[in-house]
Amino acid sequence: MFPIRCFSCGAVIAHKWEEYLAKLKEGKSAKDALNELGIDRYCCRRMFLTHKSVIDEFARFRGAVG
Amino acid sequence: MKVEFIDEDDLKVRFILTEANPAFANSWRRAMKSLVPTMAVDYVDIYMNTSLLYDEIIAHRIGLVPLKTDLERFNMQDKCVCGGEGCPSCQVSLRLNVEGPKMVYSGDFVSDDPETTPVYNNIPVVQLYEGQQLMIEAIARLGTGREHSKFQPVSVCAYRIVPEIVVEDCDGCEKCIEVCPRNVFEMENGKAIPAKVIECSLCYECVKECPLDAIKIDEETGKFLFMVEGIGQMPMRTVMRKALDILKEKAEEMNKIIEEVSL
Repeated sequence: MFPIRCFSCGAVIAHKWEEYLAKLKEGKSAKDALNELGIDRYCCRRMFLTHKSVIDEFARFRGAVG
Repeated sequence: MKVEFIDEDDLKVRFILTEANPAFANSWRRAMKSLVPTMAVDYVDIYMNTSLLYDEIIAHRIGLVPLKTDLERFNMQDKCVCGGEGCPSCQVSLRLNVEGPKMVYSGDFVSDDPETTPVYNNIPVVQLYEGQQLMIEAIARLGTGREHSKFQPVSVCAYRIVPEIVVEDCDGCEKCIEVCPRNVFEMENGKAIPAKVIECSLCYECVKECPLDAIKIDEETGKFLFMVEGIGQMPMRTVMRKALDILKEKAEEMNKIIEEVSL
């Protein structure tokens, strides 16, 4: 799951996550998407750029163990 | 002390504080960050959680969701009439009962108090898959940033000194314009003038590079440029005012102590 706040500055960022994904889907570059969303500090930008959601992958093994 | 707003929108403000000193500027900054109380979830009862995340992770994520705060209506728990046990004037409970498949958003919480709701309704809290269920009661209370950063009303809160730059006997060599990383200087009538002083980062490159030693920088102007970004629990002006109220209270307490000691 995407972090609710930026680890470094504490600004709330999660409310823009789905919008960000939608923009990427439209074919925009990550840079353009972040600029449009107004994420201008590099601490918050790296939160978006480096996030990898593992919950979908966990879900594939749901029920397989325990 | 005077405050002059440069730009202001809902969350971000920039203002210049004049007729002040570094001690006051820094205490104000610290008061905004760590002394202004806000509501946040601090205690979570989990009745049912069959989601893929652990109870603790979900509780932590809920804690980070900012809640709209009306400081007039709530007391800090240790100063409340109930003596810290929890009552409607010091805490609010938010309930959630959902079943998958569904993405749980912050807006899905049902608050006891219609005005204490999440600032953003579209923060993803946890993804629920088929057959998973979440039944939670989250208790929000007032707290300060000193206790936990989730209670902070501001994210970025910084200031820098606005210097006074004096250029005397400039011959217009444009060296300072070339060397200044913040583009503070502009040419006017063949002379360099410091047009955008508030951008200055006090790097002193212009002073070092000027062949005539014509540039002088004074740092003790009592002017400070504040850059403050709010989280959204309350308007930025409320945060600033509340921080000043708290500082005043503390100063008065200090005065009282000094009077007692000097008797």
